Amino acid sequence: MFFRGGVELKGYKQYFLRKLGWFGITFVVAVLLNFILPRLMPGDPVAVITQKVTQGMTSQSGVSKIYQQYAELFGTKKPMLEQFVLYVKNVAHGNFGVSFSQYPRPVATILRESIWWTICLQFPAIIVGWLIGNMLGALAAYLKGRFDKVLMPISIFLSNFPAFGMAIILLAVFGITLKWLPISGGYGFDMIPNLSWTFVWSVITHYQLPFWSIVLIAIGGQAIGMRSMSIYELNADYVKYSRFMGIKDRKIITYVFRNAMLPQVTGLALSVGTMVGGALVAETIFSYPGLGNTILKGIMGQDYPLISGVTLIVTLMVLIANFLIELIYGLIDPRIKATQAD
Amino acid sequence: MNRLGLRIIMVLFAFLLASSAFSDTLKPGDPLPRNETLYFNGQQWGPVNGWNPYSSNNNNAMGVAQQDNARVIVFETPYIYNMIDGKQYALLADGPWVWNAKRTEITFKIKAAAKWSDGTPVTADDVAYTWTANLKYETQAGVGSKDYIDAITAVNPRTVQVKAKLSPDGRPVNPLEVIHYLSSNYVIQKAWTMKLEARCGGDATKFKADPADDFVSSGPYTKFFTDATKVVYIRDDNYWGKDKSMWGKLPVPKYLAHAIFADNNAGFAALKAGEVDVSQQFNANIQDLWLKDKLPISTYLPEAPYGIGASLPTAYYNLKSYGLDQVAVRKAIAIAVDYQTIISNAMTNQSATFTQVPRSLMNPTAGEQALFDHAAVKSLQWAGNDIEGAKKLLDDAGIKVNSDGWREYNGKKLSYVATCPNGWSDWQAAIEVVAAAGKKIGIEITTNYPEWSVYQTVVTSTPLPPTGYDILMMWSDGAGPTQPWSRIRHLLSSEFANTNNNWNGNWGGYVNPAADALIKAIPLESDAAKLKADYTKLVSIYLTDVPSFTLMYRPQSFHAVNESVWTNFPRADDGTKPPVPPLDMTDGYAIAGLYNLKLVK
Amino acid sequence: MNTMIKQAFRSGKFLVGFTIFMVILLMAIIYPVIVRDPPLAILGQGTFFEPGIYVNVFDTMHSKRYKISLEDAATKRIASKLGNEERADIKTWLLAAGIPKESIDIGDTAKLFELWVNTYDPNKDVGMTSAKRNYYARLDKSLKGLLGTEGSTVAAMNPESGVLEQTDTIERNDFVNLGQVPVVRWFPLGTDNFGRDMLTELVSATRTSLVIGFVAGIVATLIGLILGLLAGYIGGLIDDVIMFVTNLFTVIPSFVLLILISFSIGQESRGAFTIAIVIGFTSWVWTTRAVRAQVFSLRNRDHVNLSKLSGHSIIQIILRDILPYIASYVIMALILQIASGILAEAFLSILGLGPKTTEVPTLGLMMNWAMIYSAHVTGKWWAYVPVLVDIALITFSMNLMNTGLDQVFNPTLRE
Repeated sequence: MFFRGGVELKGYKQYFLRKLGWFGITFVVAVLLNFILPRLMPGDPVAVITQKVTQGMTSQSGVSKIYQQYAELFGTKKPMLEQFVLYVKNVAHGNFGVSFSQYPRPVATILRESIWWTICLQFPAIIVGWLIGNMLGALAAYLKGRFDKVLMPISIFLSNFPAFGMAIILLAVFGITLKWLPISGGYGFDMIPNLSWTFVWSVITHYQLPFWSIVLIAIGGQAIGMRSMSIYELNADYVKYSRFMGIKDRKIITYVFRNAMLPQVTGLALSVGTMVGGALVAETIFSYPGLGNTILKGIMGQDYPLISGVTLIVTLMVLIANFLIELIYGLIDPRIKATQAD
Repeated sequence: MNRLGLRIIMVLFAFLLASSAFSDTLKPGDPLPRNETLYFNGQQWGPVNGWNPYSSNNNNAMGVAQQDNARVIVFETPYIYNMIDGKQYALLADGPWVWNAKRTEITFKIKAAAKWSDGTPVTADDVAYTWTANLKYETQAGVGSKDYIDAITAVNPRTVQVKAKLSPDGRPVNPLEVIHYLSSNYVIQKAWTMKLEARCGGDATKFKADPADDFVSSGPYTKFFTDATKVVYIRDDNYWGKDKSMWGKLPVPKYLAHAIFADNNAGFAALKAGEVDVSQQFNANIQDLWLKDKLPISTYLPEAPYGIGASLPTAYYNLKSYGLDQVAVRKAIAIAVDYQTIISNAMTNQSATFTQVPRSLMNPTAGEQALFDHAAVKSLQWAGNDIEGAKKLLDDAGIKVNSDGWREYNGKKLSYVATCPNGWSDWQAAIEVVAAAGKKIGIEITTNYPEWSVYQTVVTSTPLPPTGYDILMMWSDGAGPTQPWSRIRHLLSSEFANTNNNWNGNWGGYVNPAADALIKAIPLESDAAKLKADYTKLVSIYLTDVPSFTLMYRPQSFHAVNESVWTNFPRADDGTKPPVPPLDMTDGYAIAGLYNLKLVK
Repeated sequence: MNTMIKQAFRSGKFLVGFTIFMVILLMAIIYPVIVRDPPLAILGQGTFFEPGIYVNVFDTMHSKRYKISLEDAATKRIASKLGNEERADIKTWLLAAGIPKESIDIGDTAKLFELWVNTYDPNKDVGMTSAKRNYYARLDKSLKGLLGTEGSTVAAMNPESGVLEQTDTIERNDFVNLGQVPVVRWFPLGTDNFGRDMLTELVSATRTSLVIGFVAGIVATLIGLILGLLAGYIGGLIDDVIMFVTNLFTVIPSFVLLILISFSIGQESRGAFTIAIVIGFTSWVWTTRAVRAQVFSLRNRDHVNLSKLSGHSIIQIILRDILPYIASYVIMALILQIASGILAEAFLSILGLGPKTTEVPTLGLMMNWAMIYSAHVTGKWWAYVPVLVDIALITFSMNLMNTGLDQVFNPTLRE
C-alpha cells in the first residue's frame, strides 16, 4: 500500500530523467563502437566482391578496373572520420547503406526481412521460458520436498546445456529420427507467404523446434534463480511476522513472490541482451531466417554496413528493452521512489 | 486461440508480406503443387538481389549466371556447351558457327523461331547491341572479352558476325576466347537495354546496379516469386523453344523452386526428406543415403566417384620461399602426399583417384583425356604416398636430415606453411593431409587457415608474404569450350606471374618461356596431331617442374537427385543423344534434362 | 577455512559435482599417459567409422585356422544378405518383370534364388527409378554365390608369367582366434570425419577446453573482482566510470564483441590461449556487478570502519577486511565463469571462429567438424553425442559444485 501524491511522482520523475540521460550517453558510445569495430577487421571487402564478380574473366586489366570501380563506390579509401560522419547522417535518415556481400540490396531491406522472424522467435520464447521457469522455481521453493529435489538437478542441467547442443539434439531426435516436426526454414518449402490457414500452420510447426530449444534452457535458468530468491524471501522476517499475525498464507505468498520477482525482472532485461546470441545458434542450425543468421553471413562476408546495421539495431533493441524494464521496475518497487525522494 | 490473438498474428504477417515481393498471378492460399515443381538446393545461398544480366554482382545463381556452362533457364546464350562431348550446341543460334577462311571472323545465324517473352523476335541486332552495351558499360562480359573480340555486328536481321581482335601479324589474338564468348554470354533484348539505359541516364554504375525487375528474356522460365527464404521460377508456356527447330516441347516442370538454406546441412536434411529434388552442393558420404537409409537418391554414377570430375583444385608452391626453388623439394613433397586419404576423407570418395585417372593437366572427362599422349608421360606420373621415393629424391639432391630430424638445404632447415581459406572443409581436410606428408619425409609443414577475405587479398597480390603462404591451395578451371587450354594458361603462363589483382592463376610465380610459347601457339593451332604433341609437351613440363600439383578432381557442379516425385534424371549411359551432362539441368546443355523428366507414378 | 571445506564436502550436491568433475579431469590427465597415440593422427581412410573392433583382414587370412561346424552358420549367412526386406524386394522386381505371382514363393530360399538368378537382367527396363535400378544391381552383386558351399580362392600374381595362380582357399567353416590376430584396433567411439580416433581426440580436446575454460574464467573473475572491489569500495567517480563501462558492455551484446574480436585477430593468432583471454575479456560484467553489490553491503561494517579509523591504507583494507568475506562468493563466481568459458569456446568454434584445428582439438571444434560433415543429419551419432555429453557433464558438474557451495555459504538455502 503506497499513497500517490506529489512527492511520489516527483521522485519518480527524477528517476526517469536520470535513466534517460544514462541511456542517451550509452547509446552514443555504442554507435561509435558499432561503427569502428567491424572496420578494424583485416582484409579487404572490396576484394571479396571483385573476386565474386570477376570469376571466369581472363583479362587482367578488366579485373583491376572492376576493383577500382568498387573501391570508389564503397568509399573504403576515404579517411575514417569522413566515413563516420557520413554514416551517422545516413542512419539518422534510416539509410543503413548498401550491403557489400549482397550488393546492391540495401541493408535496411535485409534487416527488415529478418528482424521480424527473430523477434517473433525470441520474445515469446523468453517470456514463456521466464513465466514457466519462475512458476516452477516458486513452486519448488514453496512445496519443497520431492518436487524440489527433482526439479533442482534438472534445472541446473538444462540451464547450462549449450544452446547449440539443445538445438542439435532436438533436431536429431524430433526432426530426423521421429520426423514429428520440420527441421529447417521459417515455413514450408512449398509455401508462399499469404494469410491462409495452411501457411500459418506451417509457420507454427516450423516454429516449434527452434522455440523449444531456447525455452527449455531458459526455463532451467529462471527456475533456479526464482527458487533461490523465493527461499530467501520465504525465510524473511516479515513472512514469519505475518504468519504470527494470522494473515492467510495465500496473501503472504503474493507478497513473497512480488518481492522475489524484482530481481527476476532485472534478469529479464539482461536476457534481452543475450537474445540474439541465443537465437543465432538456433537460427543457424534450423536455417531460420532471422537476424542471427544475417549477422553471421555479414561477418563471414566482411560486410561492414550489414554488421554495423545489425549491431546497431540489436543495441537499440536492448537499450529500449532495458530502459522500459527499468521504468517498470521503478513503478513496482516503492523503495526506488523512496530513495529518489530524498 | 482467440480473435484478438489471431488478429495480432494477421497484422504481424501482413507486415511480413508487405515487405516481400509478389507476382500478380499468385493465388493466395495455394502452396506450390508438388508434382509440378522441381526443387533445388546448393545454388542460391542468399535472397535474390536482382535480375539484371549486365550486373557485376548479381547473386541470382539460377537465373543470371554467365561464363562457362552459363545457366540458361531465364536468359539464353547463342550456343550451349556440353562438357561430356566438348561440343557447343545451338540454342538461339541456327546451326553451327563458321569461321571465315582466314579464321578472323565467325558468322552464325539466329533461329527464325527465337522470340522474346514480349513476343518480338530475337534478331542479330540484339546480339550486336548486347555487345555494345557490354563494352560501353564495362560489364563483366565486356571487360572479360574486349581484348579478344573487336566487334559484333548484324549483317542482316538473322545473321551475326563476330570479328576477332587481331594482333599486328594479322592473326587473331585468341580465337578460342572468341568461341568461348558464344556459349558463355547472354543475348539481351536491344529494346529493353535501351530502356534501361534511358532510365539510368548513361551512368555505368546505375546501369549495372539496377535491380531490373522489368527484364525481358527469351528463356523457358521467368520470375514468379522471391523473398528471403526462396526463389521460384514459373514456366512461360509461350516459350519459343517448343518449336520443332529446337526442343519440340516445353520443359516438364511448371515451377522451379529454390529454398534458401543457411548452410549445407540444412540443404542436406531437406534432400533427405524429399523436399529437394536436385542438389548442387557437396553432400558428404552421399552414398549412405541410398546404401544405409535406402532413400531414392542417386548420383550420375552409381559408384565412386559418383560424378564427373571437371576442375582440379591445386596446391601452388610459392616459388620464392626458401627451398621451394628446388625441384627436388617440390617433387618430393608432391609425391609423398597421400592422395587416397584426401579423396576418401576430404571428398568422401566423390573424386576419381589418381590411379584411375593418372595426373596430368587435364580433367577426367573423355574429351580432355584424349588430348595428350598417355604413354609418353607415364613415367613422370605418380600416385602418391611414396615416402621412400620422396626421401630418395631429397637425399640424392643433397638435402639431408639434420640432427633434429628435419631436412636442411644449405644449412637452413626447411619449414613451410600450407594454407587454404577457413571454412572450406574439404580443402582444409586436404591441406591437413599435405602437412602430414611433410612430417613423414622430414620437412616441417604446418597449416594455417585465414578467413577467405584475407586469404584472397593476400594471394591475389604480389609479392606473397615471406611466411604463411608457402603452399597455397586454389582452384583451377573446370570444363568449358576453351579447356584445357585456359586451365593450362592459368596454371603455367607467366602473364599472371607476380602481378597484382591476380584472380587468374599462377599464384606461385612460375616462369617458363617454353611453356609460354606453347600456350601462345595452341589457340591458333588447328592441326589435331600438332595440338596433341603440344599438349603432351606441356604435361611433361608440368610433371617435371612441379610448380604446383593437383590435390583431387572435383565435379563442375555437384549433382545428386531425389526420385521421390520426379524421375528420368540424367545418369551415366542413360541413352540420351547427345548425352546430358550432370549439371543440375540448368547449366549449358544440361538444360536438356528438364525436357526428359517424368513423374514417378 | 577448514570447516568450510569440511562442510562443502558434506553437501550432497557438491560431492556429486566434484566427483564427476574429478573423474573427467583424471581421465584427461591419465589417459594420454596410457594411450600414447597422437590425438590428431589420421588413422581411417574414410569418414566416420562406426564404433567397434576392427580386425585386419590380411592378417586374418594368414593366421592359424580352426575348423568349426556351427549349425546355424549357413542360415545366418543367408539371412544377412537375404533378409525379409530383400525377399520382398526381389518379389517386387519379379512381378514388375512379368513373372506370374503364383510361381514366386519368398519362403523357399533355394527356389526364389534360382528364379532370381535366371530372370534378373540389369539392362531390362521394368519401369523403375534409377535409384531403384541401382539398388537391384547392388542386390544382385551381393547375392552371388550365396547358396553355394565352395570356399573363396586366394590367388597371387606370378611375377614372371603375369598370370594369377591360386595360393590358398578359404573354406566356409574356417575360423580364427581373435586373440591370435596380430593387428586389431578397437575404436570405442569410432572415428571422426578426418579418420581420427574419437576417444583419444575427445580426451585431448577435453584437456584443451578445460584449460581454455580455466584461463578464461580466471581472467574474467580477476577483472570482475578488481573492478568490482574498486567500484564498490572507493565509490564516487571511479564507481560511476566503472558502472558506465559495465553498462556499455551489457548493452553491446557480448557475443557480438566475441565474434568481432575473434574474427579481427585472424586465424594465425587464434591459438587456444589467445581465445581464452578474449573470452575472459568479454564476460566479466556480471561478476563486477555482483562483487560491487557485495562490497557495498560490507562497506559500512564495523570492522571496516575500525580499520579506516586505524589509518590502514585502502589497499590494506580491501585485501584484509573485504576480500575474505567475499571469498566464498568469488569462488562460486569463478566456477561459473569457467563453465561459461568452456561454452563460449564451443560457441565460437561452432561458428568457425575457434582456435586452429591442426594444433589441438577442442570440444567446440570437434562439434564444428561433425556438423560440417553432416554427422547429425546422417545419424553418425558417435561423432557428436559424446562431445555434447562431455560438455554437458563438465558444465553440469561445475554447476552442481556451485550450488552445493552456495548452500554451504548460505545456510538458508539448505534443505
